[in-house]
Amino acid sequence: MRIWRLSILLILLGIVTGPLFPQTSQQRAKEIIDRVDRMLRGDSSVGRVEMTVATRQWKRTTELRIWSEGTDKVLVRIEAPKKDQGTSTLRVGDNIWNYLPKIDRVIRVPTSMMMASWMGSHFTNDDLVQESRLARDYDITIEFEGARNGVEVYEFLLMPRPQAPVVWGKIVYQIRKSDLMPVWARFYGEDGELKRRATFSDYQTMDGRLVPALMRMTPQDKPGEYTEMKYRELEFDVKISESIFSLKSLRGS
Amino acid sequence: MIIVRLGWRNLWRNSRRSLITIAGIAFAFAFTIAFIGLGRGLVVQLLKNGTELMVGHVQIHDRDYLPDRDLYETIGNQEGCDWKQLIAGLKRRQTVVAVAPRVFGFGLVSTGEQSAGAQMIGVDPTAEGDLSRLVDRDMLARLKPGSVLIGSTLALELGAAEGSEIAAVTQAADGTLGNDLFRVAGIVRTGLSYLDRSVAFMHIDDLQRLLALEPSRIHEIAVKVRDPLTAPDASREISRMNGLPEGVSVQSWRQLLPQLNDYLGLAGGANAFIIGLVVVFVSFGILNTMMMATFERIREIGMLNAFGMRPGLVLLTFLFEAFFLALLGLAIGFGLGALIMRYLSLYGLDLTRWTGQLSMLQTRVDPILNAVWNWKAVVAAGISLWVATIIAAYLPARKAVRVDPVEALRAPVMQ
Repeated sequence: MRIWRLSILLILLGIVTGPLFPQTSQQRAKEIIDRVDRMLRGDSSVGRVEMTVATRQWKRTTELRIWSEGTDKVLVRIEAPKKDQGTSTLRVGDNIWNYLPKIDRVIRVPTSMMMASWMGSHFTNDDLVQESRLARDYDITIEFEGARNGVEVYEFLLMPRPQAPVVWGKIVYQIRKSDLMPVWARFYGEDGELKRRATFSDYQTMDGRLVPALMRMTPQDKPGEYTEMKYRELEFDVKISESIFSLKSLRGS
Repeated sequence: MIIVRLGWRNLWRNSRRSLITIAGIAFAFAFTIAFIGLGRGLVVQLLKNGTELMVGHVQIHDRDYLPDRDLYETIGNQEGCDWKQLIAGLKRRQTVVAVAPRVFGFGLVSTGEQSAGAQMIGVDPTAEGDLSRLVDRDMLARLKPGSVLIGSTLALELGAAEGSEIAAVTQAADGTLGNDLFRVAGIVRTGLSYLDRSVAFMHIDDLQRLLALEPSRIHEIAVKVRDPLTAPDASREISRMNGLPEGVSVQSWRQLLPQLNDYLGLAGGANAFIIGLVVVFVSFGILNTMMMATFERIREIGMLNAFGMRPGLVLLTFLFEAFFLALLGLAIGFGLGALIMRYLSLYGLDLTRWTGQLSMLQTRVDPILNAVWNWKAVVAAGISLWVATIIAAYLPARKAVRVDPVEALRAPVMQ
């Protein structure tokens, strides 16, 4: 569920050597993003996140525990507040299941609901699986390299490949040159209008690595609404048992 | 009086020709009556189907609810309203037949591995049974708290049958994930594929709880009135009613179903066009008959003129002839039309041969079309035919009566 990581991972995973693009630009983009990824992602991670969702009608904060391994296994469990405690999401590959403790049922999210909100946040179910898909579905190039507001940055342009089943018309992603920290990502619709933006901040060292501890997702069409993910704890390269990413452990047993 | 009699007698001087013309008028009028009847039948049916299926004739919402159906835009906004009292007030009104409250939600229904998106509609089973025909009363009566009725295609997709347990999950108003288990009490076939694919009817209290809406908060009140054609008036009256919460909008089917409204206008226009066409054709037939009748009598017109009969009176005899021609034609045509209408209103016109199961403008259309009398249009068509006949007689006669007697008397005698 760590979107900043998702995006980066996706990008880096891309063995994207589209014949239409100059090799050098693609290769450089890949190289940089590879490095960013190596920094932000270990082979696995375990983290504690505070997620705040603000809408016009309500604002709530939940505490999440997140386990991840590789690029396609994630387990998220809500630990607080009490009302939501135990509600969990498991993602393996392209499949997502939710566990609802109140009715003690595991529900598989159908393809038709991929664009629906995940746990009431401004993330969609699709954001969970994008991690492994972005590299497959988008061509990545360096669109801009230089100073923005006095800070040296890279800006990557992600354009969907022809016929890729994607949601976004394009994605632009800015990374700081000095320490390769992500700054923001902007998601555009099919007609090129800005749909939402993710901003990264509060860069901290966690478990020996510099990471953006705060990520805020802002939808463009709902002024005043946002979802914030704040990392409280993060450990890298922890040994996670395989059985954690199973429907059985999703149920919390 | 003698003029009237002359007109009547003249009619029968060439009885075969007159009868053929009368038959022409009769058939034209009978056809027009049946056509108008079927047109009105289609209008009534579309209107019934379009409104009585689910929409009702008048609906009350918060002003911002449509078209997005935003969960939070309940009647009376955040506080909601005493909708039970509001409904009681609506029911006391003369024109109102039935009133039903509704809550809408979107979410996921699931049997576990199989899940699908669903439109959840929370209803009061009894009130809904009185108002809409989408789901029949017996089926709705099974909708006890804790149960759900799902569309047939949705049921297939979920692999759910009557008695299955399904989970419903939705984004609730307080930001939590509303979730609960329901027992499938019935599978509904609405005849509308988009509903069969997605609909889940629940008890209104259940859906409010699932969506974390207070009991005072509902999204829609649907009203059925006595005569759907007067719904716009009813809607205006209701919008002036006392005790209506702040910020509501009251709309009739004319605003709620704009395509239906447009279609009805279009159908009316097409109707008028066809009637006009029939009138024009009939007029030409009569024009021909009257021209013949006039010119074969040119000698006697000249004679009458020579005797000193005023041309105006001669003209009048022709007009009366046409008057009787039209009268007989219309009377016979009406009789014939009435017979056809009786048949069409009892048995209807079976369209299945051409259409199969018919759905139009997102409403179900019965493939058997029953004709309905539209008196206003029938009378208008009759008067148009009558007037057209008399005008068709007037044109040649006016010319003939001005004929010079000397020339007229020289004209060849015609049989």
